[in-house]
Amino acid sequence: MSLVRALHAELLKLKRTLAFRVIFVLPFLVATLQFFIAWRTKKFPTDFNLWQTMTTSSLQIWAVFMLPLLIALETALLNGIEHADKQWKHIFVLPVPRYCIYFAKVIVAQALILISTFILAALIVVAGIAAMYVRPELANSGAAPYAFIAKQAALVWLASWLIIAIQTWVSMRWSGFPIPLGTGIAGTFFALFAASASVGKYYPWLLPMNIFLEGRATTAIALGVIGGILATVAGCFEFVRRDVLS
Amino acid sequence: MHCLIETRELTRRFGPRTAVDTLNLAVPAAGVYGFLGPNGAGKTTAIRMLLGLIRPNAGEVRLFGVHASGGNRTSLMQRVGALVESPSLYPHLTGRENLEVTRRLLGAPRNLIDVALDTVKLTKDADRRVREYSLGMRQRLGLGLALLNKPELLILDEPTNGLDPAGIHEMRDLIRRLPDEFGVTVFLSSHLLSEVEQIASHIGIIHEGKLLFQGPLSELQTKQQTQLIVGVKQLDAAIDCLTKAGWNVQRHVDGVLNVAAKTSDDAISVNRLLVDHRLDVFHIALAQPSLEDIFLTLTTNQPAGRRAA
Repeated sequence: MSLVRALHAELLKLKRTLAFRVIFVLPFLVATLQFFIAWRTKKFPTDFNLWQTMTTSSLQIWAVFMLPLLIALETALLNGIEHADKQWKHIFVLPVPRYCIYFAKVIVAQALILISTFILAALIVVAGIAAMYVRPELANSGAAPYAFIAKQAALVWLASWLIIAIQTWVSMRWSGFPIPLGTGIAGTFFALFAASASVGKYYPWLLPMNIFLEGRATTAIALGVIGGILATVAGCFEFVRRDVLS
Repeated sequence: MHCLIETRELTRRFGPRTAVDTLNLAVPAAGVYGFLGPNGAGKTTAIRMLLGLIRPNAGEVRLFGVHASGGNRTSLMQRVGALVESPSLYPHLTGRENLEVTRRLLGAPRNLIDVALDTVKLTKDADRRVREYSLGMRQRLGLGLALLNKPELLILDEPTNGLDPAGIHEMRDLIRRLPDEFGVTVFLSSHLLSEVEQIASHIGIIHEGKLLFQGPLSELQTKQQTQLIVGVKQLDAAIDCLTKAGWNVQRHVDGVLNVAAKTSDDAISVNRLLVDHRLDVFHIALAQPSLEDIFLTLTTNQPAGRRAA
């Protein structure tokens, strides 16, 4: 019950915040980029599958680059509003268990990332239809495979739980943007090196991308979900015991 | 005496520094308890331990007669409202929305928002964003947040910090009304004695983490002996003369003498003694020490000043 109340309060806090606007902007950028690539491509191969290509490449750009940054930004914004006016001391004296506050933050972050990923999924369909309109030769790609797009988007989201858990803890632990965003950027940067190594199979910031790699998808989902839950519980354990000194 | 807050040997250290040292508070129900101390005395650390924001190294906190531990703290906090230092507000939300966030967390009825706004006189500005609020309005909204769950105990840490005189006056009036109108016991910390003196019925004085005094305000006043303030030209000779005659004398920084005395007869005796020794007395008065004098005496070990009786 306390968790529901905490979630209810979190929704109101989002009002007029950047955290809510960002979830629309980044998917729009990715879908627009995909549309222009399709539009400006000189010649498509004969076996070109618009939906397969557009879905995979949009979600890959999303998974490897936009999603980690979006998570870093969203968690920093969600927790930044608590750090800004030293809200923690007010929240912690209310009769709400601290673990509810923590889980509410994680759930809201997950929900925002889910919404953003599915906005991208919807925009992939829009971009695909628009591409067929400006490039009539693509019309034979047929109707959009909604289930395939939704499934891929959902898998990317599930694999991102571990990143969300890590970034939530970091942004709750340190106020301001430098450390949470720095963590997100560093995590994304090192993913470039980890991708070619065997460790890349387990590297948190590569898990959403691993969905698209042969032999790595199952591990990515399992590690994303189970690792995300365990990391959330561990972060919560520290959060509940934390002294509020400022 | 029924106490809403009790602490037993409450201690908190930060590295080698002991911020709160074996603190034994006893805050009675009803009225306003003023928790006084200079800046850095340990007031905020003590309050944070009362509220569970930081954990003590030793000792325990009892709220409403119940040991406030991790397990039952949540239920106890349903009966407590708090404002710790500056109010914590969401500037991008309106005053009403800030109250609504806390209301949702509390699961309190919606109508309590209007009651809280009315109590802190913010009804008119309720739909303005908090970033447009003055400091006084922010402080009142913070108090409104603390009052939202109709607490039995209200803990306020330096609620007038940073306010201008009008804001201080407004806040003080508001706090003064709370025990009578809402049946709330107020635990108020401040470093401003003049502020506490006007609204507190009980007082606790903390200095360097230790509780130096606790009890009714009247008891504190009777603790300090009346003094005789003597203005005399020949200070050293007067000290010598009075000391030899058995009077307890201290030289005050203002260039007068403080003589431990109780009655007007003592004043006559001292005056006669000095005049007999051909010393030029230009001022003599019995002084009742103000609360500020007592506070300074307790917290700085300075000789008490005076206020003419």
